[in-house]
Order: sequence, then C-alpha cells, then structure tokens
Amino acid sequence: MATREVISTGNELAATAAVDAGCKFFGGYPLTPSSEIMHVISDLLPKIGGTSIQMEDEIAGICCVIGAAMAGDRALSATSGPGVSLKAENLGLAQMTEVPLVLINVMRGGPSTGLPTRVSQGDVLQAKNPSHGDYKSITLCAGSLAECYTETVRAFNLADRFMQPVIVLLDETIGHMHGKAIIPTSEEVKAGIVPRKSFDGPADEYFPYECEADEPAVLNPMFKGYRYHFTGLHHDKHGFPTEEIETCRKLIQRLEDKVAMHEDELESYEEFMMDDADIMIVAYGSVSLAAKETIRNLRAEGIKAGLFRPITLWPSPATKMKEYADKIKDVLVVELNIGQYHSEVQRATARLDIDGLFKVNGRAISPNEIAAKVKELY
Amino acid sequence: MSDSKVLMRFTGVGGQGVLLAGEIFAAAKIKTGGQGLKTATYTSQVRGGPTVVDIQLDNKEIYYPYAVDGDVDFMLSVAQMSYVLFKNGVKPGGTIVVDPNLVHPTEEDRKTWNIYEIPIITIAKEEVGNVITQSVVALAIANTMMNAIDKTALVDTMLSKVPAKVHEVNKKAYELGEKYAKEAMA
Repeated sequence: MATREVISTGNELAATAAVDAGCKFFGGYPLTPSSEIMHVISDLLPKIGGTSIQMEDEIAGICCVIGAAMAGDRALSATSGPGVSLKAENLGLAQMTEVPLVLINVMRGGPSTGLPTRVSQGDVLQAKNPSHGDYKSITLCAGSLAECYTETVRAFNLADRFMQPVIVLLDETIGHMHGKAIIPTSEEVKAGIVPRKSFDGPADEYFPYECEADEPAVLNPMFKGYRYHFTGLHHDKHGFPTEEIETCRKLIQRLEDKVAMHEDELESYEEFMMDDADIMIVAYGSVSLAAKETIRNLRAEGIKAGLFRPITLWPSPATKMKEYADKIKDVLVVELNIGQYHSEVQRATARLDIDGLFKVNGRAISPNEIAAKVKELY
Repeated sequence: MSDSKVLMRFTGVGGQGVLLAGEIFAAAKIKTGGQGLKTATYTSQVRGGPTVVDIQLDNKEIYYPYAVDGDVDFMLSVAQMSYVLFKNGVKPGGTIVVDPNLVHPTEEDRKTWNIYEIPIITIAKEEVGNVITQSVVALAIANTMMNAIDKTALVDTMLSKVPAKVHEVNKKAYELGEKYAKEAMA
C-alpha cells in the first residue's frame, strides 16, 4: 500500500481523512475537544466544491448531515459527548430510515458539560445506543494518530455498505496529540471507495426498503427521478408508514440482522505481544498507548503481559476475546470510565472475574498505574 | 545530540504560545529522523488557566503520549500557578528554567532541581521587541540546555510555522534565547 508520512494531530487527520474518503458535506456545531475537525474541514471542503456549515446547534448539525446524505453525498458531523446527547434523536432517525453518515465523537469528561478539555472514554455505551429502539450500532475507535485517519476512511465505507450512521470514537488525548503518522496516500483511499448501491431500473419498480432479511435498504439519491418516502415511523417497502404486523417485525429485525449477520466485515482488533501472554490487558483508544508502554516495561522485567485492543468496539470482537480469555487466567480491562467496556468483556468471555482499572477524573491513566495493577494481580 | 529519550515540559497560562513551541520541537525531531510527540493539557478557562505542554523526543517509538511524572528532564515555567502544579513532575536533579519576574521557587526547590532564572518575557518584550516571540525564546533556551535537536533543523521548522514577515524577529528571538541559556549555564 502506498503511504505518506505526516506530522499532525488526530483531529486534523480525521478531517483530512473524511475529505480523502469523498465526504462532500460537513454540518455541525463546534464543541471542545472536537472543534479542530470542523476548523480543518471548513477550509478543505469549499476548495473541492463541498459544503461545510456551522448550524445553530448540534441538533440542526446532524439534521443537515442527514439531508445531505439523503441527497447522495458522503456527509460528516463531529462533536463530543454532550453533542451526541443532543443529536441522539436524529441518529435514531438515520438508523430507522437507513441514511448513511459518519459521526466523530472526540470524547471528554461527562455526564452533562463534564470536563470539556479533559480526556475520557465515558461515551462508549452511548455510542452503542445513542437513541431509543432496536438497531445495531457500528462504532470504531482510533488507537493511534494514523487510525484517526484510517478509521474515519473505514467509517465512510462501512456507512455506505450498511446504510446507517457509523460512529468514530476519538478521545481528547488522541484528538489533540501532535506527532508522526504513516497513512495511506489519498489516491490509495480514493481507489478503495465503494459507492453505496443504487437502483437503476424503472422508477415504478423501485422499492427502497424491499430487500433481503440481512441486507440494507437501497436508497437512490433524492432529485434523480426516483420518488419514495422517508419516515421515522415503521414503514413499508416504499417508505410509507405502516402498522402491518409482519412488515413492522421484519423491518426492525432486518436493522439488527443486516449488521449481526455480517460481523466478519466489521471485526477489527490489534494483538500486541499476545503470543505468549500470561496476562491480557484489554484497552482501546488513547489508553491502549499507555498499555503498550506498560507492556514494554513489564516485559523488560520478565512479566509476560499482552494487549488485546478492539478497534471496532461495536459490535465487539467477542469471539476473539473469548478465545483468549479461555486460556489466559488474568484479564484486565483498563478504561477511562467505570467499566463501560468491562461489562462487554464479561459478556463476551462469559467470565465474571475480569479485573478492571478505571479512572474518571479527566486525567490519563499512566503506564505506572497499569503496571502497579498488573503486579497486584500477577 | 542526545541518543536517549528527552522529556520536556513547558508550563504557563493559556494564551502564551507554549503549544506552538511544543509542536515545533516534535516536528523538528521527526524531520531529523526520530520520534517526537507533543501533548497539551489545559483547563476550560483557555486564557489564563494553567497550561502544560509535554514534549517527548526519542529514537524509538513513543507509545504513552504524556511525560510520566517524575521522569521529566527539563521544565520551563512562566507562571507561578503552573510552576507549583507541575514542578514535582521533574526528576530530582533535573533542570527547571523560570522567569524570575513571574515564578518564585522556594529554597527547598533550589536544592532539589537545577533552577535557572531567565527573564524570558522581558527579553521577548524589550530586546526582541515583540512579546509573542517568548515561545521562541523558550524554545531556544530548552534546546540549548538539553542539546536535544540540531539547531538548524529546529530553527528551520520554527520558521516554517510562522509567517514570512516575522522570520527575522523570530530568528533574533532564537539567538537571544540561546545566548541567555549559555550565560545561565556558564
């Protein structure tokens, strides 16, 4: 793969990635610590004929992104946890209507206004279920500067494949840190773009929501001669509201199954020094960087620790985590919340004795803290 | 040049330009073939709140993005509040540079660390003639004392990040910072 070396921040890389991945529309409202994404993309998009608009609030920000995506554009919004709270209802609308979009959440301390400039991973469960109702979230989490770029690109491709919002989680540390990243060239990214499916038959034979039980809707861009309906109500094959029992059941089951039956296309994780590990640390995002530093130090002392790092957080790499947890006794989940992913690791591994190291004061977890916890267990 | 890891910490209050100094250091190290990483923490009160910038320069891959407290080799501080908050991150025997008009170390501090007093802001304001160049004066002091990066590479990177019309004034700021650092160490 052709690559390039850049010196940048995570937020800048995410914005650049969106443009390289074909994003033509950004709508949002600047929110610390995500604001630089908007700053950068508002410079980039007008130069390529795209649009970046600062709306009156977070809700309008996601609404105009949904509109742009209905019109056929790849579209992005970026915010932090409080912004996702406000956008939640319309993220549900995009799930129900199957409108593809990407939302980047650069996590800060919460709940509510929380700690605006401080790092946190408190939005992991929010990303799983931002809105009410049944649907299956796709959430990716960057664990390096390079991944701020590559995971944003992947998010756009997955959004068009699965026809639904895809959330990319960054955190304040990853979003703001400034250093070297090796990323694919923009030509490489463009070559990998798979546009969303469309219907090119006669307009009177087009039924956007008539699809296989495990496949997403096929939504032609608006204004191209194909008439159909968008609604948040349960809807039929044309998109018009219905309460017909079997149609309603099939619709919601399909929203689940279009993701659940294709998890192999979504699964992504990193194994770091796991080959001979006696202790498995599970961490993601910026915390995984502290974990790698810890493991490098512990290995020098003869302690065989390894890192399992989920990159796709939802759906989780459950099968792989269970495979490891079946043979490794000591499993430690380290995260900047009070066990939001810990409960998923417990579920995936069917083990209630999973240890945890959690922190919620807006400060990073240091390698020394992780090492102390590992030595306590070991 | 130093072969091993160098951990530097610039502390001040928001708005003093310490963030840019950190970016310049990291970028210059990367351009000379090494690894450099800058992270910053600040409060939601951006102007006036305590700000700390961690700069890590290494020849092997840097994972954890912050300087670990107790491991910091060099700290520069231009605000009392930040000095007090962050001084204990510096390892005993490490180097601390303070602006004596703004930061007042205790006698105990002077026994723990090598403390140098350089009036960074006065130099920028009166000798360079532009207070904004204080971050470049600081950059020069840090690099001169730590011998961290080839001077030409650092100055070139610095100049690439500031508008052409202020190149001369920033070069002057660097030279003055270097001069004061050498005098302080002499």
